[in-house]
Amino acid sequence: MPLNRKRAIIVGDGAAGTILANKLRFHSDPSEIEIVVFGKSENHYFKPDGVQIPFGFKDYRNSVKPTQSLFNYGIQFIKSGIKEFDLDNSTVKCEKDNTFRYDYLIIATGDRFSTEDLPGYEKAASHFYSLEASLDLKRKLSAFRGGKIVIGQASIPIQCPPAPYEFTFQLIQYLKLRGIRDKTEIHYVYPLNRVFTIPNVSDFVEKLMEEQGVIIHKMFNVDSLDPAGKKVNSLEGETLDYDLLILVPPHSGQKVITESGLADQSGYISVDRHHLNYKDYDNVFAIGDATDLPISKAGATAHFQSEYLANRIANEVNGNAFFDSYNGEVACTTITSGTQAITLFFSYDKPPRANFQSKSDYFLKWTSSDTYFSAMLRGIM
Amino acid sequence: MEEIKPTRVIDARGSFCPGPLMEMIKAYKQGKVGDVISIYSTDTGTKKDAPEWIKKSGNELIGVYDRKGYFEIVMRKTK
Ligand SMILES: Cc1cc2nc3c(=O)[nH]c(=O)nc-3n(C[C@H](O)[C@H](O)[C@H](O)COP(=O)(O)OP(=O)(O)OC[C@H]3O[C@@H](n4cnc5c(N)ncnc54)[C@H](O)[C@@H]3O)c2cc1C
Repeated sequence: MPLNRKRAIIVGDGAAGTILANKLRFHSDPSEIEIVVFGKSENHYFKPDGVQIPFGFKDYRNSVKPTQSLFNYGIQFIKSGIKEFDLDNSTVKCEKDNTFRYDYLIIATGDRFSTEDLPGYEKAASHFYSLEASLDLKRKLSAFRGGKIVIGQASIPIQCPPAPYEFTFQLIQYLKLRGIRDKTEIHYVYPLNRVFTIPNVSDFVEKLMEEQGVIIHKMFNVDSLDPAGKKVNSLEGETLDYDLLILVPPHSGQKVITESGLADQSGYISVDRHHLNYKDYDNVFAIGDATDLPISKAGATAHFQSEYLANRIANEVNGNAFFDSYNGEVACTTITSGTQAITLFFSYDKPPRANFQSKSDYFLKWTSSDTYFSAMLRGIM
Repeated sequence: MEEIKPTRVIDARGSFCPGPLMEMIKAYKQGKVGDVISIYSTDTGTKKDAPEWIKKSGNELIGVYDRKGYFEIVMRKTK
């Protein structure tokens, strides 16, 4: 091994950490750079299937793979969380109390559900943002015979901003299949003066929701919950009662990020928009949901960022010049009816356009877990 | 006219929709009745969204002002 062999430490074994590790391995020679990934998960769950699992439209067993099995040859995966970051000495400390030196540090710790920000959440609400929650919701939906369902999100930002509307369209399909759509009122609450962050996509989705008889409540910022009385109150003074409340939990960055002084109370790391490096450190980066970049928290974002960063690090290690940058690219296919979807492409400068929905886009979405596990995570696309 | 002194100023310049509005809502939640909250933003969507939210939530919109290269929205928390 050459004496100056570098070490890249990737903290986080989710979409961003895995894609980056695999791409970097493809682009670089193991004799030049060692890749070590720290993570806490036994299994890797494909979260987008959360908009189908609660309805039994997909078998959850196809949405999960052992984490360790997803790293390509030549990557060391250490199943332990990182509890301390010391950027001045270029080291991290893991939960087993060992300290590791790095030449490159990439933080890909994603975000967490900060339900402590909304008292009563656990009792009052269901959601589809984790596998456990999706399976629990599946049981609740099976027992549901009609009534009033309120769907929404507790706050902004959340992972995959389109997921609440995708879920709503799948719910409508499910209720129709069960013959209880006419016995069910669906209320959709959203914090802004529309149904989605981006105005033109919002107009498109709002029209489809109206056609499906969804009752929309705009500017509904969830303020408090009354689990016993089955009521949800908005900051704007509206109260809705419900039989079933499906509310995406509040999100924030990881506690360890705030505690290590890498971010403020929100826990999201500020990085350079085009180069993804943290402050003046040109060997410390953050990618995926862990950042505070003004773009969707999406696997697709992590994918584009990883492509940029893997190339950059590999070129640097090889002594090559590298002039590319990340420009906020995201592409995601989102469900817009029981059987149709639209694909949105965007970057920092170009908002997405919602042009048309199609069955082929729905098929793309339907098969995305296969593409994800076999190609995207593997770093070969 | 005497200038109203904000209790809290949020500089959200360079941040995109819905970031500035969410910052304003956060400050509103943390504040107390009577507080004057001012937000600086460069995002044109916020210029429309924030006053609409202030109205809908029953608070007082003090004004929307064009500044050099950004604008300022000022509200008073009334409830
Ligand atoms: C319902 C739903 C639908 C979605 N649909 C889509 C979609 O259609 N398209 C799309 O592109 N995206 C979608 N997403 C979003 C996508 O899943 C996330 O944006 C993506 O998982 C982010 O990847 P990440 O690696 O940044 O975070 P994560 O995948 O959350 O991974 C972070 C990892 O870091 C680990 N970690 C945390 N702290 C530490 C620590 N201290 N030390 C070591 N490891 C740590 C965690 O255990 C976790 O495994 C969806 C999400 C949901 C919930």
